Amino acid sequence: MTSGWTARSLIGLAAVALAAFGLAGCGGSSDESGPADLTFFVAIQPGGTIEEVSKRCSEESGGKYTITPEFLPTDASQQREQLVRRLGAEDSSIDIVGMDVIWTGEFANAGWVEPWTGPLKKQVTEKVFPNVIETASFEKKLYAAPFNTNTQLLWYRKDLVKQPPKTWDEMIEVAEGLKEAGTIQVQANRYEGYMVFVNALIESAGTEILSGPEEVDLEQGPTEKALEVIGRLANGGAAPPSLSTSDEDTARLGFEAGESAFMTNYTFAYGSAQEEAPDIGKVMGFARFPRVDASKPSKPPLGGFNLAVSSYSQNKDVAFEAAACLANDKSQKTAVELDGLPPSRSDLYTDKAVTDAYPGFAGLVKESIEASGPRPTTPAYQDVTLAVQRALHPPDKIDPEDTESIYDELKANVEDAVKREGLL
Amino acid sequence: MEQRTSRDYALWSIAILLVVVFALIPVLWLISISLKPPEALADQRFIPSSVSFDNYKSLFEGGVSDSPFIKPLINSIGIALITTTISIVLASFCAYAIARLEFPGKRLILAGALAIAMFPPISTVGPLFDMWRALHLYDTWLGLIIPYLTFSLPLAIYVLVAFFREIPWDLEQAAQVDGATPFQAFTKVIVPLAAPGVFTAAILVFIFCWNDFLFAISLTSSDASRTVPAALAFFTGESSFTAPTGSIAAAAVVVTVPIIVFVLIFQRRIVAGLTAGAVKG
Amino acid sequence: MEAKTGAPGKNSSRTRSERKLAWMLCAPAVVAMLLVTAYPIAYAVVLSLQNVDLRFPDENSFAGLSNYTTVLTSSLWWTDIFNTVFLMVTTVAIELVLGMAIALVMHRAIFGRGVVRTSVLIPYGIITVVAAFAWQFAFAPETGFVNNLPLISDNMDWFGGRFSSFAVIIMAEVWKTTPFMALLLLAGLVTIDDQLYEAARVDGATAWQRFTRITLPLMKPAILVALLFRTLDAFRVFDTIFIMTRGALDTESVSILGYNQLISRLNLGLGSAVSVLIFLCVFLIAFVFVRGFGAKLDEGRPGG
Repeated sequence: MTSGWTARSLIGLAAVALAAFGLAGCGGSSDESGPADLTFFVAIQPGGTIEEVSKRCSEESGGKYTITPEFLPTDASQQREQLVRRLGAEDSSIDIVGMDVIWTGEFANAGWVEPWTGPLKKQVTEKVFPNVIETASFEKKLYAAPFNTNTQLLWYRKDLVKQPPKTWDEMIEVAEGLKEAGTIQVQANRYEGYMVFVNALIESAGTEILSGPEEVDLEQGPTEKALEVIGRLANGGAAPPSLSTSDEDTARLGFEAGESAFMTNYTFAYGSAQEEAPDIGKVMGFARFPRVDASKPSKPPLGGFNLAVSSYSQNKDVAFEAAACLANDKSQKTAVELDGLPPSRSDLYTDKAVTDAYPGFAGLVKESIEASGPRPTTPAYQDVTLAVQRALHPPDKIDPEDTESIYDELKANVEDAVKREGLL
Repeated sequence: MEQRTSRDYALWSIAILLVVVFALIPVLWLISISLKPPEALADQRFIPSSVSFDNYKSLFEGGVSDSPFIKPLINSIGIALITTTISIVLASFCAYAIARLEFPGKRLILAGALAIAMFPPISTVGPLFDMWRALHLYDTWLGLIIPYLTFSLPLAIYVLVAFFREIPWDLEQAAQVDGATPFQAFTKVIVPLAAPGVFTAAILVFIFCWNDFLFAISLTSSDASRTVPAALAFFTGESSFTAPTGSIAAAAVVVTVPIIVFVLIFQRRIVAGLTAGAVKG
Repeated sequence: MEAKTGAPGKNSSRTRSERKLAWMLCAPAVVAMLLVTAYPIAYAVVLSLQNVDLRFPDENSFAGLSNYTTVLTSSLWWTDIFNTVFLMVTTVAIELVLGMAIALVMHRAIFGRGVVRTSVLIPYGIITVVAAFAWQFAFAPETGFVNNLPLISDNMDWFGGRFSSFAVIIMAEVWKTTPFMALLLLAGLVTIDDQLYEAARVDGATAWQRFTRITLPLMKPAILVALLFRTLDAFRVFDTIFIMTRGALDTESVSILGYNQLISRLNLGLGSAVSVLIFLCVFLIAFVFVRGFGAKLDEGRPGG
């Protein structure tokens, strides 16, 4: 038999219970009862960087959030395909996205990633290379926290060539004159790597492909000079046999097999040679990406990944904090230690972790990133890269004696691409 | 019965050798790649100069939970077996109806099945992704089994119709006249005659599921349902720019073993069925 | 069980129950097929009539047939159609001949049948992308063994020329899918009664005559199914080309074109139009087959 007292306390208990339920039901970023579960969609790194930094940041958050990596395929275009499919479907299970530098314009314009503002914005751009900040920005807003960057150096055989060449013309001449290993390894398959190569040459010649998200530049003189370099390389003796299907991997394989005295490739090439072909690794020299125009400093390629917060995330505030941790200096040091990825913070280049990963050329990497010429930032990037590849592939179709007609074709293609017209 | 001369054996040996060589040279090449240590990968040799099993070891490292390969292999086998079973059953019913019975809409079904098989799968993946997420079938075995059924049924139906059409159905009646029950007539006479078609269709459906990459990569996101072709896309080399050539080759080799087993069992059944049934009396 | 001697008469109750049985037998398969494809195919057709670019979500509009005109007036589309048809015809022709030869070996070998049959099917069972990659690796000058073979120049850049690339693509495709043909042809061969051959031999027919007068006609259904599906599949070739050349040097197929519009450019309108056009082309091929070659697959053969 319930007395009045028991009844009231029972009602009281019920009220408390309901209130607690209600609070829990309203859970979200202000949920006190458990850490927010953030998923981090990013490409898998062989050395385990992603797992490491996710774990560390989850621990450092003091229970505020846990970061779970969801891996994307190794190939960049497949990564984009998976991300685009989900973001296009407004998938709320994505919180943090590892964005390749060339996707910024596209993702930002489509409204898939959120801009960074306030103190966090300041935090993630502090001491970061200005060029790298540019790759994470669109229309003057920052859309991602720079994580790692990447650039290409000129690698050469110290035993065959005393001084590294300063310009591409010089390098082609030297290579053609060598009795053995007289070829230059680049990336010229019909894929994004070729665009990296072409863009670096065009930028080094003194002009750019786009001067704005929808404006084509491609000043004729410098562009034709850059095209002439490609034509000379492809049609002369310095071209490796499978130039038109070469990528970063075949380039380093060719160099490691002793077939080429020169190679332009990313920083991983050094470690790879030391491990796979120590004889070649011993005599591997490094220099800055060669000039196209002898009077203008070269603009090496720029790559890398930035971390963005998805517009469809249900934990945006917490995701920003988590992404800021994932991109901070401790994480960047882990990235260079475990996977040899160049940090985007310029003050880390004197740190032991970096000088160990790049013995003797850490300063060169830093200099290259500072001087680099990024690829165009535009929402229509995929169209532009397809257009450039279509116009300029295979490289031996470019006649070094007559670069005007190929220039016209390139310019027309890119103009159509920026307007997103036609079939590509 | 002709005498088998040693010349016969010799000629047949050459024929068989040619066929086997044609079939297996690229497979041997794959095995060769998988056995080459990384530094010898580009040595242009067909037979490796030194053999290393590292690629195979790395596949199975980490046991069932962590290896990049074991769980996908289980997924592949399970999904392919289930799809093949269901597909053959459904296709057999349908093909029996089409081959034996008169009804309107026969042509429509055949034409429709063909239309479905012909539509570029790449266009169907986007909407399918949306549908599956809404129905919570994303990243599940069922989420792959259903599209595989859809795209394998047309081929299975056509193959079975072609074979059922060739079966002299009145043999069934003849057997009954000889005293067999309808069921006995069906199982002892018709089923063996249908066997070549059924087992052929089974092999084709199984291999279709086994090989599919597009749906596997788009409709899965974890080891819960990812199959081997999709898992290969996540293999990494030493660095993000180094292609995982050796381990992919090793995975491809290991993955043909279940196929070999499946085919070995089924290829005998294609012929066994026919010789077992008393064909013409 | 009723005997079926010729078409059932107009007896409505038997016809009705037969129809009902037929529909019940077919329903599960039909449902399974429609479930997955009805919505996506309809959606793709609707998209093809619109201007939809996922990267510019505010700019969607109705396009009518303009996507189709863009595709059909583009020289790229027609080049790709040529490439695709060229590959389709050469691979299917080679596969038919090779497949028939292999099927005969699989059927008639006096020993080692199990080994032959199993090894023949292995190529078909190798994961497509890996097989394409293995061929590419073999022919690439820096990594492969092909250039080391006698009679082939050391520096031959197979993927540096349009038709040499086609040669490798054709070899890879033929290797991969001849087993499909061979398997279907074998199953067809197996159903032919040996007594027919005996009788013909007694009558003095040569091996070639036995092949052309007995084997081929009796295998017609199997040949037609094999040809039909193989041709339809060949038209949609994607993986092999994508991995070997990415469509460079004008080796692109229509499927790669569709992929570029749909996935790379996220131009869903244009990409869907390409898909629908591919579908219509394939439909045309199937139509030609069914009419032209008399692939009467839907008629049940009455009696014996």
